[in-house]
Amino acid sequence: MNYFRIWLASARYSVVRTLMFRGDFFVWSLVELFWMATSLLTISVIYEHTSSIAGWSKYEMTLLVGTSLLIQRFLMGFFWSSIFDMGRNVRSGNFDFFLAQPGNVMFMATTRKIDPDGFLNSFVALAVVLYSAHRLGLHPGAADCALYACMVLGGLIIHYSILVISVSMVFWITNAQGVEGGYFSLTEFSRLPKAAFGVVTSAIFVWGLPAVVVSNVPASLLLHGFNPWWALWLFGAAAGWFGIAVLVFHRGLRRYTSASS
Amino acid sequence: MLSSLTKYRHAFLVGLQSNLVYRWNFAVRGLFSLFHLSAVFILWSAAYQGVGSGGINGFGFGPTITYFVTLLVLQFFISAFNEDYQISEDIRNGLINQFLLKPINYFGYRLSIFVAARMVSGALVLLPLAVALPFLHTYLTFPGDWGWRLALGLPAMALSALIQFSIAYCFGLLTFWFLEIQGFVILSMAVEAVLGGQMFPLDLLPAGVFAVAKFLPFYYQMYFPAAIFTGRISQADTISGLGIELCWVGILFAVNRGLWIRGLRRHTAVGG
Repeated sequence: MNYFRIWLASARYSVVRTLMFRGDFFVWSLVELFWMATSLLTISVIYEHTSSIAGWSKYEMTLLVGTSLLIQRFLMGFFWSSIFDMGRNVRSGNFDFFLAQPGNVMFMATTRKIDPDGFLNSFVALAVVLYSAHRLGLHPGAADCALYACMVLGGLIIHYSILVISVSMVFWITNAQGVEGGYFSLTEFSRLPKAAFGVVTSAIFVWGLPAVVVSNVPASLLLHGFNPWWALWLFGAAAGWFGIAVLVFHRGLRRYTSASS
Repeated sequence: MLSSLTKYRHAFLVGLQSNLVYRWNFAVRGLFSLFHLSAVFILWSAAYQGVGSGGINGFGFGPTITYFVTLLVLQFFISAFNEDYQISEDIRNGLINQFLLKPINYFGYRLSIFVAARMVSGALVLLPLAVALPFLHTYLTFPGDWGWRLALGLPAMALSALIQFSIAYCFGLLTFWFLEIQGFVILSMAVEAVLGGQMFPLDLLPAGVFAVAKFLPFYYQMYFPAAIFTGRISQADTISGLGIELCWVGILFAVNRGLWIRGLRRHTAVGG
């Protein structure tokens, strides 16, 4: 409850700050919207020339991409700025500020800022999911919708964990510039159907790294119904990767030596 | 004339040294590009399963993968990475003041460093590409008429680099008017990704849209040289394209000059 109050205060501060820089908010909202549009346009152009991708129709694929975008928008809205700043703060020594705060350092450092533009575009991503579901004639029940929301949350935890692990590398290599590029490269796989992967690529991106499971499991729930094994895999991966993120972050924190780090 | 070129040679050498310091960043970036290439490979191989022997728009899976591999290499040789941000920082921090007092052209100075940076990043991308080559070489299919393609493709590539740099330079100069330009830069990157042919070969666009795209500078940033090298464009279209590309270089140079002159009028140098 105490942490929720701290987060609420940070969120309020972020919103006030956003309202002070309204032009910036508008530009960044457009940035996210444009990047979402590029993903959807790519799918649209490919389907002008082919009828299916790994057995998935155009709107099934759009639903998958929409789900991936939805999770990514939540990540952008809740955590991106804080985690991105973490890399710079460790390098400059400004990370001391978080160590001095009376609370869990990882929580303080990764939840301090929220980006309302990310939230705004999450509505667009949700609209893409709803539109695709409508075109596919899907009518999920309340339980399916609730489970879909839980799976999106599981996906968000996985994305958060991967990003924290990536940026925590700054404790060892000092300059983690470009690591966030790696995160974006990895999320490209979340826009692909699982059936498109071969044996080797499945081993890496489906079973090894949680890139594919993040979006495929919630999208498959709406398309094909509940699969308990896939759900277990998603929530297990979320718990496992979150544990690894906590471990890596705190191992890295031990190496932090203020401005000289 | 020769002595004025010497200072840019020195700027180039300094750029070469400072970019070699960041060789690991470029190498990591190159490595992550292989992830992107893997995603592209998986997506397009799945897409090709649903089409007949005619391929997509007349191109088989091999030529499409060749296009994306060529694009990846070109990206590291001619793309502007963070030049806009560096120029923006120079203006914001007042570092630009020193260039106003010295007999050196800021555009020329930045261009020299850009060329040095791309030589380093271009050389470094060859390493991860060498790793991927054993898996990719069976899919790589280049056209047989490589003589004219190389003769026209290399100048097209050089002009594309100038377009890439000029656009980044324009965005950097916007700092004279706006404090924060990152939003504009990333917004433009999204447009460039689509209209530059980085998401899909532009010839897959509807014919009308593709015809309009040919007259935009984005077409010449990446797609044009990649299309020449990978056989997606005819000789006649290449020659007319080179003309349009040259026009865009001229227009962008003029815009840069105009922004520089008007921007300096707004610029206030403070301190020593």
